[in-house]
Order: sequence, then C-alpha cells, then structure tokens
Amino acid sequence: MSGFGQANASGPREAADWSNGRIIRTNLRAIIGRAYPRIIGLTREPSWVFFEILLPFLAVSAFVFVYRALEAPEDYIGFVVLGGAMTAFWLNVVWMMAAQFYWEKDQGNLELYFTAPMHLMSILAGMAIGGLVMTSSRALAVIGIGSLIYAVSYDIRDPFLLAGVFLLTMLPLYGMGMLFASLFLMWGREAFHLAQLLQEPIYFLGGVNFPLRHLGGLSALIAATLPLAVGLDAMRQLAFPGPASEGVLPVGAEIAILAAMAVVFIIGARFALGYLETLARREGRLTLRWQ
Amino acid sequence: MTARAAPVRGITLADAWRSFRTAIGLGWAIESNWSDPFLFAVYTVAKPLAAAMILVVMFQVITGGSGTEFLQFMIVGTALWNVVFGVMGGLVQSILEDRERYRMIKYVVVTPSSLFPFLLGRSLARVAISFVAVALTLLVGIVFLGVELRPNLLILVPATVLGVLSVIGLGVFMAGWCLQLRQEAWSYPEAIAGALYLISGAVFPIDILPAIVHPIAYASPTTWWLEASRRGLLGHGSPGALGTLSDGTVLLILTISTAIAVPLSLAAFAWFMRRARQAGLLDMVTGS
Repeated sequence: MSGFGQANASGPREAADWSNGRIIRTNLRAIIGRAYPRIIGLTREPSWVFFEILLPFLAVSAFVFVYRALEAPEDYIGFVVLGGAMTAFWLNVVWMMAAQFYWEKDQGNLELYFTAPMHLMSILAGMAIGGLVMTSSRALAVIGIGSLIYAVSYDIRDPFLLAGVFLLTMLPLYGMGMLFASLFLMWGREAFHLAQLLQEPIYFLGGVNFPLRHLGGLSALIAATLPLAVGLDAMRQLAFPGPASEGVLPVGAEIAILAAMAVVFIIGARFALGYLETLARREGRLTLRWQ
Repeated sequence: MTARAAPVRGITLADAWRSFRTAIGLGWAIESNWSDPFLFAVYTVAKPLAAAMILVVMFQVITGGSGTEFLQFMIVGTALWNVVFGVMGGLVQSILEDRERYRMIKYVVVTPSSLFPFLLGRSLARVAISFVAVALTLLVGIVFLGVELRPNLLILVPATVLGVLSVIGLGVFMAGWCLQLRQEAWSYPEAIAGALYLISGAVFPIDILPAIVHPIAYASPTTWWLEASRRGLLGHGSPGALGTLSDGTVLLILTISTAIAVPLSLAAFAWFMRRARQAGLLDMVTGS
C-alpha cells in the first residue's frame, strides 16, 4: 500500500477523505517545506547575504550623506537607518512574496502547487515565515552596521513594546504580500513592472527616509493603507522619542491600525487565492508558463 | 571530393545595422508592448518622480525650503542618474534575460552578426525610457520646485555625449562580467550603480564622503559627467571642491576618463565573450 490515502480505503473518494489531523499535519509540512529553502539558503548561498545587506546599506548611506550635507539633527540619521532596515522587509515582500507565484509559474512549479494535496495558503505562509527569518538577519545587519558606522544613538524606553510593534507590523506586511501574490499572478506579464512600481513610490509614500507626518494630509490616507508606513512611524516614535519623530498618530492608535490591517490583508489573501484557484481551474492557463 | 565551401564573410556594417535595428524593435516590444500601456506609463513616470520627491521632502523637512541651490543640485543629479540605472540595467538585464529566460543568446552569437550591436539595440528601450525619466524629473523640478535652468549647450552637448558614452562603456563591461556569474548576476547592476550613486556626488557633494573614498570618486567618469552636466544645465557647478574647478578642466577630465573607460570596457567585453564561449557560459541557465 502506498503512503497515499487511508490504508484500507476501498476507492479514491474514500482515500481522499482525510481526517482533520491529517489535513493539519500535511499543511504544516507544506509550511515547513516552503520555508525551509529560504532559511537554509542563508547558509548555502552566502552571496545572497552580501547583496541583501549591501543594497539596502548603499541606499541608507546615500540618504545619510544627504542629511549630513543638509546638517540635519542626528535623529534623522537614525530614521534613515531604521527605514533602510525595514526596506529589506518590503523588498522581500515585493520580490519574494508578491512576485513569487509569477516566478513559480515561469519555472513550472505552480501547477505542482495546485495539484498537491494542501492549501495554497500553506505555501504562502511558508514563504512568509522563511522570508521573515531570512530578511531579519539582513535587516539586523543593516541596523547593526549602519548604527555603528553612522553612530546612531537610540533611546528605547520600552524594548518589548518596540519588539511587539515590529512583529505586529510583519503580519499585515506579509499579509499584503500574500494578497499581492494572487493579484500579480492574475495581472500576468506586469509582475516585473508592478514590483518595480512598488519600490521608490512606496519608499516615498511610506516615509522610509523622513517622518511620515511631513507628507501632510496625504499621511493620514497612507497610515490607513500601508503597513510599512504605520509600523515604521510607530517604531520611530518608540526608538527615537522626541519632537523630530512625532508620529501621524499616537503609538496605541497605530497598533490598532496594524492589527486591523493584519486581519484585512490575510482574509483578503484567502479570498484572492480562492478566486485564483477558481480561475486556474476554469481557464486552465493561469498556471501555464509564458501566459 | 566535394567542393570546398565558400568562406563565411565577416560582419559588415550593414549586418550590424540590421541586427541593431531589429534588436531595438525586440527590446521595445518586451519593455512596453507586452505590458498594459497605462501601467507602463505610470511605471515610467512614477518611479523616477518618487525617487526625486524623497529627496525634495528630505530637503524641505530640514531646511524649510531655503537654499534652493542645493535643491537644484539634487534634482539635476537624481534626474541624470536615471540614465545610469537605465543603461546599466538595460544592458545587463538584456543579456541575462536572453540567456536565462528566453534562452536565445546562443542563437544570436552563432549568427554571422555580432552580439554587440544586438545587445546595444536590445537595451536601447530601457535607455530611452531613462531619458524620458530625466526629462520628466527636470520638468517637475522646473514647474513645481523652482529649478531654474540656464542651459549652456557648449558644455551640455559634449558633457552628454561623453557622459553617456562612458556610462554605456560601464554597462557593456557589466554585461560581459555578469555573463560569467553563476548567481546574483541580476543584482550586480543595481549594486554597482548604487555604489557609483554614492561616490559620484549625485545627490550630495563628494566632500561629505570620507576622505578614503575621494580618489575613487575623482576617478569615476560619472562624477565628471554629473559635474559637467550641472554646469551645462544650471549654469554653475556643485557646492564644494568640484565647484571651484573651471568648466574647461571639468570637460577635460571627463574626456580623459571617458577615453580610458570606453576602450577598457570594450576590451573587457571582448575578453568576457571569448571566455563565455570557451567555458560554455552562453547556454548556461543558473535558475537565479
């Protein structure tokens, strides 16, 4: 008897009738399986680490020197370093979550995902967990190196709250990535352009290099839609308390917004994935290479 | 005994031109026609403008809007830098896409035509888009941010020709180099362009950099291209040490650095291509 289905199943329908425990175990294995290459890749491909640290660090350095040229207060150097670290997560979400299904389709893996006996949300969750672990090391390196080289001083009065806000920011951020994964796939060949479009414009709208409130009326709208912006605004308030880091909203309100965003984006991702599966079955071309 | 086959003739100028022209059409089709026109237009406009707006807001936050000379310096620098990203990204992405994704570079190489005109043509779409980005950024600077252009064509034209030539030289070198790599080749143009952005005085005077980096900054043709272009567009140079040099000196150094960079890049590209043929790198797929 093969490992598929129940040991004493009398037919395919009965064999496919899995217990809840088995469904959960299979989906957990899918999560671990998809997270594994991203985590193990940290040690197998050291060159990735070099680029993922170097690229955000170069950008951070350019903005630090701009602030130095403008003789800005030292807090702003810290804002840029923190923003640069969070950029690593955003890049991970855009290129390795949102665009990932598109790349998987190009490589011919997406058909396998659709036919495997697991939920696609498990694949997305595995990608998110693996990406989070992988990117955390790079973000920490950017913060560590940036803080050391540019002598950033932090004034963290409540480190647990800061850590909590960071983790809470990751939920809607990766939830957004899960949602975009389905949308990018549906929008077909635009994936590369979309991913490019979600870089500089989002760095600008997200206040990655300056406090969000300086965008004026626009900042409230952004605070309601972009988890990167809200999370960064809250973290700056907690890491650099002072007039320069005054947020769009108090930290408590931003935490509530992040929690609401997490729910909305993850549920949205679930629905988008359901729609995608329906389309894939009906049209039969969403999973095909070159389409 | 069969008759000896006629020798294969070498590439003629007409072959190169035909190859170049065809590649332009192909590159443009890949860049634009395969996308939704609206998304393509937004992408072309939004990305460079957002990059410039980040600097504008940073400037406004710190200075409150005073000292527009520095703002003009930043706007021109960030506008022109689109060309570096366009040329480097265009050349490297073209050669990698054709090897990794479309898997047809080996067929181009075995045709009587050379890869070089094909590569230039194939990447021209991205270069053209980068010039649109330059124009748009400058336009926004003039209309909304009070950038005052005082063009001096006697400086601007040679600066643009020499600067673009040197950037193409760097891009050709990168394209050949990236062909040798197994992994992460896609990241190289961004990394190198990012490093040059930092040292070339694109958005801040190079005097701000640590002294140890100054020799690299002065050796890079992009530093002199930006400086000469600023003088050609704004009528004055950068703040800091570069601004004290005469226009003639800046153009002379740009000419010398370009005259060194371009032949070296072409020679390196020829060597990289020879190595790629010998090592079987032209039909290699890294899966990266």
